[in-house]
Amino acid sequence: MSKEVFNQISPSEFFYRNRDLAGFSNPTRSLYTAVREFVENGLDACDQQGILPDIHLRIEAVDPEKPDPKPYVLTVKDNGPGMDSKQIPLAFGTVLYGSKFGLKQARGMFGLGATMAILYGQITTNKPVTVSSSVDGKAMHEYTMMLDIQKNKPVIMKHKQTDTTKKGLNVSITLDGDYSKAGSKIRDYVYQTSLITPYATITFDDPKGEKFQYKRIVDTMPPAPTIIRPHPHGVDVETIRRMIADTHYQVPVLDNAMIEKVKKELGLSKKNLNFEGIMARAEKKWSSLSRPVRVIVAVMSFLNMDFERIMKIRLEDIDLIHKRLSYYDFGDAKLVTLEMPKSNPYYKQLANTVQGDSLITFLTKRFQRIGQATAIKFAEFANLKAEKRIGSFTNEELVQLSDSLQKYEDFLTPDPSCLAPLGEEPLKKGMQQFFKPDFLEVYQRSASAYSGFPFVIEMGIAYGGGIPAGKMTVYRFANRIPLLYDEGSDVVLKVVNETDWNRYKVKNESPVVIVSHICSTRIPYKTVGKENVADREEIEKELRLALQYLSRKLAAYMSKRGLAEIEKKRANLYLKYLPLIAQFSTELAGKNKEPDYKKVIKDLNNVQVEEQ
Amino acid sequence: MSKSKNNKAAKVATEKRDALLDLLKNQGAQIYNDLDKGKFPQFSVPSRSVSNIVYDKKLRQYILGNAASLRSARNMSQLRSFTQLMWLAFFANRLVHEKKSSTLRDVYYSSQAFEVEFEDQPESDNIIVDLEAVLARPREDFHIFPEERSSIFGDLTIEYTVPGYEGKRMRLSDHPDGYLIGPSLSSAELVDTSAELVIAIEKGGLFTRFIEEKVDKKFKAIIVDTAGQAPRATRYLLKRLHEQMKLPVVILTDGDVYGEHIAMVIKSGSANAAHLRELTVPDAKWLGVWASDIDKFKLPTIPMTESDIKRIYDLQKDPRYQEGIWKTELEIFLKIKRKAELEAFSKYGLTNITDKYLPHKLELAKSL
Repeated sequence: MSKEVFNQISPSEFFYRNRDLAGFSNPTRSLYTAVREFVENGLDACDQQGILPDIHLRIEAVDPEKPDPKPYVLTVKDNGPGMDSKQIPLAFGTVLYGSKFGLKQARGMFGLGATMAILYGQITTNKPVTVSSSVDGKAMHEYTMMLDIQKNKPVIMKHKQTDTTKKGLNVSITLDGDYSKAGSKIRDYVYQTSLITPYATITFDDPKGEKFQYKRIVDTMPPAPTIIRPHPHGVDVETIRRMIADTHYQVPVLDNAMIEKVKKELGLSKKNLNFEGIMARAEKKWSSLSRPVRVIVAVMSFLNMDFERIMKIRLEDIDLIHKRLSYYDFGDAKLVTLEMPKSNPYYKQLANTVQGDSLITFLTKRFQRIGQATAIKFAEFANLKAEKRIGSFTNEELVQLSDSLQKYEDFLTPDPSCLAPLGEEPLKKGMQQFFKPDFLEVYQRSASAYSGFPFVIEMGIAYGGGIPAGKMTVYRFANRIPLLYDEGSDVVLKVVNETDWNRYKVKNESPVVIVSHICSTRIPYKTVGKENVADREEIEKELRLALQYLSRKLAAYMSKRGLAEIEKKRANLYLKYLPLIAQFSTELAGKNKEPDYKKVIKDLNNVQVEEQ
Repeated sequence: MSKSKNNKAAKVATEKRDALLDLLKNQGAQIYNDLDKGKFPQFSVPSRSVSNIVYDKKLRQYILGNAASLRSARNMSQLRSFTQLMWLAFFANRLVHEKKSSTLRDVYYSSQAFEVEFEDQPESDNIIVDLEAVLARPREDFHIFPEERSSIFGDLTIEYTVPGYEGKRMRLSDHPDGYLIGPSLSSAELVDTSAELVIAIEKGGLFTRFIEEKVDKKFKAIIVDTAGQAPRATRYLLKRLHEQMKLPVVILTDGDVYGEHIAMVIKSGSANAAHLRELTVPDAKWLGVWASDIDKFKLPTIPMTESDIKRIYDLQKDPRYQEGIWKTELEIFLKIKRKAELEAFSKYGLTNITDKYLPHKLELAKSL
């Protein structure tokens, strides 16, 4: 390695320098992004614990008289599980701390945004962040702190504990913002978030003193997603490398703690045995031994050493290719290398442990939905030995493995259990409440996948009623986040715009609302701003199918509606002419009283009802 | 002048009026009862489409076949015309009760007082024909008259029945311009005549000439100006003169295909009025001007137009033109492709037509 000095920068500093990447480019955008990050964190926290969310967002100007942009205090309070007091400084005072690294659907990816918002607030107003949390609904911990950007460390300015009656987290930051420009987007965001989260109550107190409250519409939460193993189509070489490092066992360090562990597992904590005794005991207890202990026992067997001896050496290398084992002997102060005869009963055990799982085991254990048979077929396809230990793969073989995982077409589609679509019923209820339409239909496609990432499309279409005519409105959501910016290049709008609406009896100015929700473990956003979804072929197809299904339903309704309108016209005609006919026939027939022609019209109404 | 004859005629007229009022009342009651039962009222209207107009050889006129269409208030596309027809029946009922008369144009405007709309007069005219078809009575019976008026002159005494003139008599030879055949004359009783013949003539000019030349006296004739195609009231009057006064009817028209057809309509009606049966004089005779007369009397002619010729072809398909002079004259017209008007006789002097042609033709008519 070269001796040249690299100036390492902390993640905080990196984000500080590149803050526009994360959506903190100007006061307008930053205020909006900060709102999003905190609200979404709150919703995610509740979702994961199955708590019906109650989110309270408040934005106040520090000095209302000042013109925008100016400092605002942004406070978001949730009723989630709260955060352990000890974790708060790390979670809110360092960048890249998060609990969302697993593979499942969530709004934010790494919990990074909240810290970014705190960072942005700090650099624009030099004010600390205040976080208070209660995990038990009794004690509340309140931290006031700032970030040390260069060191990526929190600087706690105040920590106090008070009594409370409610669980949850409350975060408050001061940041430069421009509410006069960001206001409408923030209100849209709150409105649309409530639409796609009908099981939440969201309250927003805006800086002008207006209160927006969207009450909970449904009391059931969609089932929480489960964390699952990756799909073979969704991994690259680097991911495989990490997975292998994770599976195969490093050469153990023979320190006191390790020796104690071995002794304990062999039941020899208080008793010493000679080499033969240890080996006999190990053979007897083998099945109950942990992997590191097995390695140590195997090494002892090769070296013919007891505990006393082995404590005086340091293992250097276990070279399976040359069947050599080398160690440094502290007593003799020299490096010793010796052969590892394959005949030794522990050879296989050692080799297996060091080299990790066989390819087949690796595939079946570490990936989702791969069984024994598939793994064997895949190994043939990839031209790799099924039993070959994953730890012994050469670089070329790893690339070959990675490429083949991408190319092999007979894997099952990704497991959608890691997805948490809203569900047809809550979506329908939400749309009903929001739009009060004359016609409403929702549809959830079954799960599909693109590049190894499962996704589900949910869509709803509403017509008439409380929806104003003029222009078709499309609400786009991804993982329960509204997408408000950059709609021009979005795949959903592409599909909507490419639909021949005339075919479905819908005109350009018809009062139509479309709600589209894409759920995936990874939404293929076009930009870092996460506002538009790229037109992946598979996603486009699913969107198209969902929209076609709904459009057909709408067309059927429109035909019926057309009929109903004719019926209405008809009823009006009757109302106009029947009284005249009654009047004329009365005089013609020489009667004094007009006939009760209203019965005819009443019957007519009944007929209409039946038809509908 | 016999009183009994007069009474009888008055009785016939009254009966006829009462029958019409009954008919209207029954139609009205039927609709009233349907509505009262919560049913959509409906009635059937004889179909006036071409396919339902047939020639009845026995009656010697066009009549409607058995096809009828049901008009229902339930049917949206018929609701409007249903209401219009109801209004017209209602309006006719009032006219007859109050002994008032109206014209086609008048009807069109009267409707607007009752919020019944007619797009234009043709629409209201059409509804009037519908009512004629439903009641099988001409519109004149329910006091609706066309604008066009024809005239009558001769020794005929009539007695008015219209309000204000009831019982008043009039001799139709007292005024040298003749008398308009209007509502009051149409509804008047025919009391007495010394005439032995009715001459219907197509043109007003010749009508005046005939009066001046005292044709009425010379030929003991009642002279009627049909003013082109004879209006219904005129045809009805001709029929009554023929039936009640036992007078033969002869017809003089221009020497062209239209003239021939004017005579035919007086004789056996028109397809347009196939729904009516009291307007024809089957025994009426067409005196001329025939196509053959053009050559015979060396009349000055004018060439036929395209539409004249087309009309000949059309009439050749009509069953009434399949025999006798009707057939042969049509053929000659088609051959010579020329026509002559009644005035053409003036070439040989103003009285040539009354002095020479008419006596000749009347003599000939006896053998027709």
